[in-house]
Amino acid sequence: MPSTSIDIIRASVFSTYAWLKNNKWLFFSMLIWPYLMTFLILALGMVYGSLETYRERLGISNPVLYILASSGIVMSSLMIVDVVATSALYHRWLGTLPYLLLTPTKTYKVLILEPVPSAILSSTMSMLAILPGAVFFEGLLGAGKLFLILLVVYLGMLPLIGLSVIIASLTLVLREETNIASFLTPLILLLSGVFYPIQVLPTILQGMSRIFPTLYVVQAAKLTATYTIPEIKALLGLISALIILTLIYNGTASLALGTSERMVKKSGVI
Amino acid sequence: MLVNAIEAKGLVKNYVTWDRRGFFKRKKRIVKALKGVSFNVIRGEVFGLLGPNGAGKTTTVKIITTLLLPDEGKATVMGYDVVSEAEKVREVIGVTLSVEKGFFWKLTGRENLKYFGMLRGLKGRELDRRVEEVLELVGLKELGASDKLYEEYSLGMKARLALARALLHDPPILILDEPTIGLDPMSARTIRELLVKLAREEDKTVLITTHNMFEAELICDHVAIINDGRIVAYGTIGELKRRAADRLAVEMIIAAPHTILGDLEARISKLIGIRELGLEPLEEGRARLRIVVKPGEEEVIIAKSIEAFYSNGIKVYQVRVHEPTLEDVFILLTKGSK
Ligand SMILES: Nc1ncnc2c1ncn2[C@@H]1O[C@H](COP(=O)(O)OP(=O)(O)O)[C@@H](O)[C@H]1O
Ligand SMILES: [Mg+2]
Repeated sequence: MPSTSIDIIRASVFSTYAWLKNNKWLFFSMLIWPYLMTFLILALGMVYGSLETYRERLGISNPVLYILASSGIVMSSLMIVDVVATSALYHRWLGTLPYLLLTPTKTYKVLILEPVPSAILSSTMSMLAILPGAVFFEGLLGAGKLFLILLVVYLGMLPLIGLSVIIASLTLVLREETNIASFLTPLILLLSGVFYPIQVLPTILQGMSRIFPTLYVVQAAKLTATYTIPEIKALLGLISALIILTLIYNGTASLALGTSERMVKKSGVI
Repeated sequence: MLVNAIEAKGLVKNYVTWDRRGFFKRKKRIVKALKGVSFNVIRGEVFGLLGPNGAGKTTTVKIITTLLLPDEGKATVMGYDVVSEAEKVREVIGVTLSVEKGFFWKLTGRENLKYFGMLRGLKGRELDRRVEEVLELVGLKELGASDKLYEEYSLGMKARLALARALLHDPPILILDEPTIGLDPMSARTIRELLVKLAREEDKTVLITTHNMFEAELICDHVAIINDGRIVAYGTIGELKRRAADRLAVEMIIAAPHTILGDLEARISKLIGIRELGLEPLEEGRARLRIVVKPGEEEVIIAKSIEAFYSNGIKVYQVRVHEPTLEDVFILLTKGSK
C-alpha cells in the first residue's frame, strides 16, 4: 500500500511527541526562553532609560507584552527554519534519511511533510509559552490578541517553509556538511525588526528584510500589541504581503526540490 | 508467476568525486563503482552478493532499493522497474543499510518501530500487533531491550532493530546490506537463522551482501561474487567450490600486526610470485595467510614463503595444506582476475 500524506504527518507527530517526552528539559527550555529574552532586553533597556522612554521610542502602549510576543515570534520563526531547513541534513546525519526515502510515495512529499509537524508544534509551543505573560498584563484581551498573533504566525509559516525547503535542497545537493541554515538564523534576527525598528538598518538590509516573512509577522504583532482593536486595513496589507511571499517561495521550492532529488539520487550522497 | 524476484541487467554506476588539492583547488575524479553488473535472484531463496570492501555491493543495493539512479542498465524487483516504478518497488521491499545507525537516538526501540510503521501507513491495533511481533521475532523482547533508548543499544541490538524495521510491513523481499557485520556471534547467529527461516517457511526472498564467506556458506542458496564492479562468478556454494577443485589451499598462521596487513599482502605476493593470496587478521596480533596453488606447487611455495617471512622477522606458527574452501575460491576469483 502506498503511504499517504496523512501517514507521514501522523508518524512525524508521533516521533516529535515521543522525543519531547524523553527529553523533558528541552521542553522546559522552550517554554521559558521568551521570558528570559524579555527579561534580558528590559534589563538592558533599564540601564539606558525607563520603561516610559522605551514606550515612547517604540510607540507602543505595552512594551513588555510587545517584547514578549516578538520574542515568541522570532523564536518560532527560527524554529521553523531550523527544523525544516536542517531536517534532511539531520536525517542524513542520523542515518534515517534512506529509510525516509524508502517510504512508498513521492520522495518530495516525505521531505516536505516530515519536518512540518515538529515545526508547527515547536513554534506553537514557543508562542503559547507567552500566554501567561499576556494574560497577566491584559487579561482575556491579552489572550485574544495572542491568539490573533498566533494565526499570523501560522500564515507566516507558509513562506518560511518554502524558504526552508529551498535551503534544504541546496544543502543536500552541495553535499558539504556546511549548514546553510546557520547563516539564516542571525539574518532573521537582524532583519525581523523585533528588537529595534528596521529603519536603523542600512538601506540595503532594509530592502532585504522585505523579502523575509518574519518582518510582516512582527509588524502584525506590533499592530496587535499597540491597539486595543488592531487596524484591520493595515493588518490585511501585511497578510497579503505574506500570501505573495508564500506563492513565490513555495513555487520556487517545488522546482528546487524536484531538481535536487534527481541530483541527489544520481550523486549517491544518501 | 514470476520466477525471479530481482533481476539486474548491465548495471553501470560512476561516482564523481572531488579530490582536494589545497584550500580552493579540487580535482574531479570518476570512480567506476559498477561496470555492468547482472544477476538474478530466484523467488524464495537466500541470495548472497559476496565481495571484498569497495567491490560495489552497497552501490548495487542502493540501486535496486531505488535510492540511487544507475547510469546504465536496468533492474526490476517483482517485475517493477527500480527507476520508473520506484514507489511500487518500495512497497515490496524491506531494507537494512549500515546497521550501526538509522534510528532516533532519543527514542526507544519500540517507539522507533512505531514511527517507521506509521510512515508505512500502519495504524492502531494493527500497528501495535506488528511492532510486538517483530520485536519478538528478532529477539529484542527476550533481551529486554524494547523500551530502552536506542542510544543505549549494543551493536547487536541495533542490527536486530534494523531487521525488525525491514520486516514491519511484512514485505515479500528483504534486501540487507551486510546485516551481521561486526556483530557478536550470538546476534549474528540469531539473524542468520531468522533469515533462513523466513525464506523457508514464509517464502520470503532474501538478498544479503557480505564479505564473510563463512556466512554465505551457511545460509545462501546461490552466491554471486562481485569484485571491482563486476560479477566474477555465480552459482551454488557447491558449484563455486568445484571451480577450485583442481587447486590446493595453503594456509599459514603468522605473527603480523593488523596495521601492516595490506602492505604485507602486496609484498608477499611479489616475493613468491603468486597473486592468489589473502591475508586476514586473527586475534592477538596474528594473521591467516591463504594461498591458492596448483597441486605439486605447494612445497616450493611453502618453502619460499617461510624464507620470506623469516628474512622479514615474521614468525610462522602453523602451516596446513587442504582442499579449497569457499574462501579460497573467493581468493582465486577476486585476486586472480586482476
Ligand atoms: N558516494 C560516493 N562517492 C564516490 N565514490 C563512492 C561513493 N560511494 C561509494 N564509492 C566508491 O565506489 C566503490 C564501491 O563502493 P561500495 O558500493 O560502497 O562497495 P562495497 O559496499 O562493496 O564495499 C568504492 O571504490 C567506493 O569508494
Ligand atoms: Mg558496503
